[in-house]
Amino acid sequence: MKRLNAYLLAAVFLIASGVQSTLGQATALQPQRNGGARVVSNSLLRISLPAKDNGVRFGIIGDTGTGTQKQYQLGSLLAQYRDAFPFDFVLMMGDNIYGGETPKDFKLKFENVYRPLLDKQVKFYATLGNHDEPAQRFYQYFNMDGKEYYRFTKGNVAFYSLNSNYMDKKQIQWLESELAKDGSEWKICFFHHPPYSSGGKHGSDKQLREIVEPIFVKYGVNVVLTGHDHFYERVKPQKGIYYFVSGAGGKLREGDVRDKSPLTDKFFDSDMSFMVAEVVGDQFYFQVISRTGETVDAGVLPNQRRK
Amino acid sequence: MKHQTKQFAWSLLAVIASGSLSLAFTKTGDGHQKATTSSTPVTKQEKLLLSEFDRNVKQYLQVREKVRSQLPPLSKDSTPEQIDSYQKRFVEGLRTARGYAKPGYAFTPAVADYIRTIIRTEFKGTDRTEIRQTILEADTTGVPLRVNYPYPETKELTQIPPTLLLRLPQLPKEVKYRFVGRHMLLVDTDNGLIVDYMTNALP
Repeated sequence: MKRLNAYLLAAVFLIASGVQSTLGQATALQPQRNGGARVVSNSLLRISLPAKDNGVRFGIIGDTGTGTQKQYQLGSLLAQYRDAFPFDFVLMMGDNIYGGETPKDFKLKFENVYRPLLDKQVKFYATLGNHDEPAQRFYQYFNMDGKEYYRFTKGNVAFYSLNSNYMDKKQIQWLESELAKDGSEWKICFFHHPPYSSGGKHGSDKQLREIVEPIFVKYGVNVVLTGHDHFYERVKPQKGIYYFVSGAGGKLREGDVRDKSPLTDKFFDSDMSFMVAEVVGDQFYFQVISRTGETVDAGVLPNQRRK
Repeated sequence: MKHQTKQFAWSLLAVIASGSLSLAFTKTGDGHQKATTSSTPVTKQEKLLLSEFDRNVKQYLQVREKVRSQLPPLSKDSTPEQIDSYQKRFVEGLRTARGYAKPGYAFTPAVADYIRTIIRTEFKGTDRTEIRQTILEADTTGVPLRVNYPYPETKELTQIPPTLLLRLPQLPKEVKYRFVGRHMLLVDTDNGLIVDYMTNALP
C-alpha cells in the first residue's frame, strides 16, 4: 500500500510539473525552476537541460514562416528561453517562409519574429521545405552557405542539413561520402519531411525513408530532426535512431496525431511548440515547450553508438 | 516513316518494361552532366533519347550562363532585396534570350513518352497511390503551364519522390523537375523560370 502511494505521488508530481514520464529509451527529466527569476506568462521559466560549459546548445523550430501573431508569441518565448538557457544557434526544419518571398515577407515572417535572437548573434541554420524557394540558400540569416544541403560542426556534433524536397543522386552521394569520413561523436541530420511520423495529414515519408534510412543506419546517424507535420512528436527509436518531428513553430494541425500510433513515444498536437536541446558528452538532452510556456516533453538520450 | 516511328516506340517500351531503367548522368570535363549507364546496360534507343534530352538541357544551360554572367553574383550572405532583384533580372534576361522557346524544347514527344513510362512503372503498387495523392493534393493551382513564365513563389514546390528521382534522367543542379498536378515541369533552380513542361506525366 505504501509503495502504491509512493507511485501515485510520483505520478502526480510528474504531471503537475508538466512532464509526463517518457517511454522507450529516453529518461524523463523534471524541469527545474531557473535560479534567476525569468517570467513567462506570469510563471517562471522551467529549464530541464544541464547548460554545461562544454555543452552544444541549440534551439529547434519548424514550419515557422507564417508571420502570424502566434508565431511571434512563440518566437518571443524562444528568445526568453535563450536568456535562461543560452543556446548559440537554432536549427530550422523548413517551410521557413510561407506564401510570398518578397523582402517584406522575409522581414515579417522571419527577421522581425526572431530579431531579439538575431541581435544577440544567435545563428539560424535552415533547411528547405516544400514552401521554400531554393534561392533561400543565399539568404544571409539562414547560413546555408549558398547550398541546398550542407554540413557544419559544433563541438563533438556534426549537423547535416538535407534537402528532402529533392533527394537526388548527387545529394545522396554527397551525404554518403561526408558521413563515411565523419568521425564526430554525434551525427544529427535535419530536414523537412519526416521518415517517421504519426501525422494524419502527411505521416511517414516512406519513399524518403527507403532511400535515407539505410545510409543513416550504415554510418551511425544518432538523431534525425524534421518538420512538415504541424505538431511535436518523439518517435520510438527506429533501427537505433532517435527521430523527432518539430513542425509547429508557426502552424498547428490540432489533433492530427493518429490515435494509438505505434510509432509514438510522446506527442503534443494541441498547441504550437519549439524544442531546445543540448549535447553533453554522450548525452542528448531535449526539452519541448508549448506556446503557453508549458514543458510538454523532456528527456535525455544516450549516444547509441558509444560502446 | 510512320511505321518506323511506331516500331521504334514499341521496341522502346519493350526495353523499359524489361526493367532496364537504371539511368545515371555523370559529369563531363566541362562540368555538365551526360547520360551514362549505371549497373544495367542502356539500349541504343535509350541512349539516343537521353542524349537528346541532355543536349537540350545543355543548350538551356548555355543560354542561362550567358544571362547569369551579366548579373552581379549573389553571395551566400545576400539580403532579401538582393535575392529578389537577382531573380527578377535573371528571369527577365532569360525570357528575352529565350523568346524562341516552345513547349517540348527539352521534353520532346519521345522523351516525354519515355519519362511517362518511367513514372508509370515507378507508381505501381499501393504505396505509390499515396504519393500520387500527395502530389495531386499539393497547392499548385494557378501555376502556369507556360514555357518562359516564372513559377509563382506563393505556390508549393511539390516534393519529387526520391525513389522516382533516382530513376528519372539526372539533371544538373541548375534545373529541377517539379510536379504540378499530373503535369511535370522543368524549372530553373535559382529563379523559378519554367524551362519546359510535359502534360499528363502522372498516370
